[in-house]
Amino acid sequence: MADHSSKLDIVQATAALKSLRSLRNNVGTLFHSLTEGIGLQSGQDSKESRFVAELQQQLVTVQSGVKEFEEAINNVDSVQVNLGNSGHLNQDCTPDALNLYESLVTSYRWTDNLVEYSGYATTLLSQNALKRSTLIHAKRRRIQPSSQNVPPHTIDNVINSVCRSLGDNVKIETFRPYGSSTVLQITLGKIMKGIVVLKRLMVEWVVVKGATEDLIEDGKIDMWGESRYKVFRKVTENANAAMLHFYSPAYPELAIRSFLTWFNSYQSLFTSPCKKCGHHLHNLLPPTWRDLRTLDPYHEDCKP
Amino acid sequence: MLFFNFSLQLFAVPEGKSGPQVIEMLTKRAIALGAVLSGSFIVDCETYSSTASLGAPRSVHLLHNSETPASVFALLEAASGNKTVALVADNLFDLLMLKLSNFYTAKKQTKIESRGPRFEAGDFLVKLGSVTMGPAFKGILVEVEYQACSLPAACWDLIREFMQGFLGGCVPSTPPPYIQVCSFFLLPSRFGDMLGTIDGINQYLEQFNAFRKTTGIR
Repeated sequence: MADHSSKLDIVQATAALKSLRSLRNNVGTLFHSLTEGIGLQSGQDSKESRFVAELQQQLVTVQSGVKEFEEAINNVDSVQVNLGNSGHLNQDCTPDALNLYESLVTSYRWTDNLVEYSGYATTLLSQNALKRSTLIHAKRRRIQPSSQNVPPHTIDNVINSVCRSLGDNVKIETFRPYGSSTVLQITLGKIMKGIVVLKRLMVEWVVVKGATEDLIEDGKIDMWGESRYKVFRKVTENANAAMLHFYSPAYPELAIRSFLTWFNSYQSLFTSPCKKCGHHLHNLLPPTWRDLRTLDPYHEDCKP
Repeated sequence: MLFFNFSLQLFAVPEGKSGPQVIEMLTKRAIALGAVLSGSFIVDCETYSSTASLGAPRSVHLLHNSETPASVFALLEAASGNKTVALVADNLFDLLMLKLSNFYTAKKQTKIESRGPRFEAGDFLVKLGSVTMGPAFKGILVEVEYQACSLPAACWDLIREFMQGFLGGCVPSTPPPYIQVCSFFLLPSRFGDMLGTIDGINQYLEQFNAFRKTTGIR
């Protein structure tokens, strides 16, 4: 990272820019009077000599302006960022590599600024203790290694206890087709089926299909294909959103329990009308969203 | 395996309107609801009655549904009550029936069919059928199927709301009688069961029989 001496000095840079502007201005005036020429009343000696004198004066101004600008620019030349060996990129003459070094410098500056600002932000934030969520607390306690390495029978126990608490209409089967990852096949009565792929106790992937669709294809669980029906494709989308919402590596057991409880609320997918508009259908779909806390059904567009 | 959960609804033809006019009106309403035309459909039914050599006369209804083109549905009326025995067979059954002409003969002028446009609207399937017996127009049957769910108990309200959207007030608040009838002694009704293709065919047969009994347009 660049130290502060190589940072652009704002005062010096402004002075340099100012002198550049006045220099350009002077040069502009010089050329302007040159193009104007002596004028229509040329031929008179007095006019010609006056014109030359004027021109001389302007040239002197330009000259002093150049000097001034050179001085000013000397004061700010420490801006140059040196990126070590990457500087050789600049000498690459292939056309598509031309801009590489420039963008490298730009992104370097960005990162530099980012580090600086985040440093300020940390100082400010640490002065105001905002303890709004339990997560900060959990982070300090460090993530327990238990969520990283869970033996399969513990997962089975957790799933079984959750399944029992959800009632008779839910059936959860566990598979481990690819080694340690657990795959849950959840059947919600005659309404729908879902496949939930776990990584240890964390939910990684959810697919929802209709009760009449097959989850097993060629003897394997088809966990990538989507449902034939729009309603279950929408539910899959929402279940993936909920999976992210409930994600909590600090409390994996609570996370999977909350997720499965939320998932179980889809038993009423076709029966309960939307809590907001009171209708069953909106855009030809039933209420496909379940509130994450209250589990109330809502249409996609009626979400609170 | 395909499952069906549908409601077959009779749409009373308003006085002074012809069948095609009503179909056109319903088509417009369905398209306004977001339905997309996807071909046409036909369900037909032919009835055979047993010859005297088989004892008491019994009827066999032979139905075809364009939704399941490789199957023939044969429904044999049971000797007692109004129950039927259903058989789902391959296409060749039609030819077999011809061979059985010594035992079952086709009733004359009773071939009845419902045909018309087929629409898809989200997960719904809508079929607007004009029922004709021979050359005579008999009425209009609207079939609405919700493909995502085959449990009438779960999605009847949903289907009703959908049907009310384009059929208006003629949609009853209770499911079609066929779905409510006790199917087995132990089960309360088909309402809590998964419906299959054969249940759709049975609903068509019921409606067709009612059409045959009435003269004129229903």
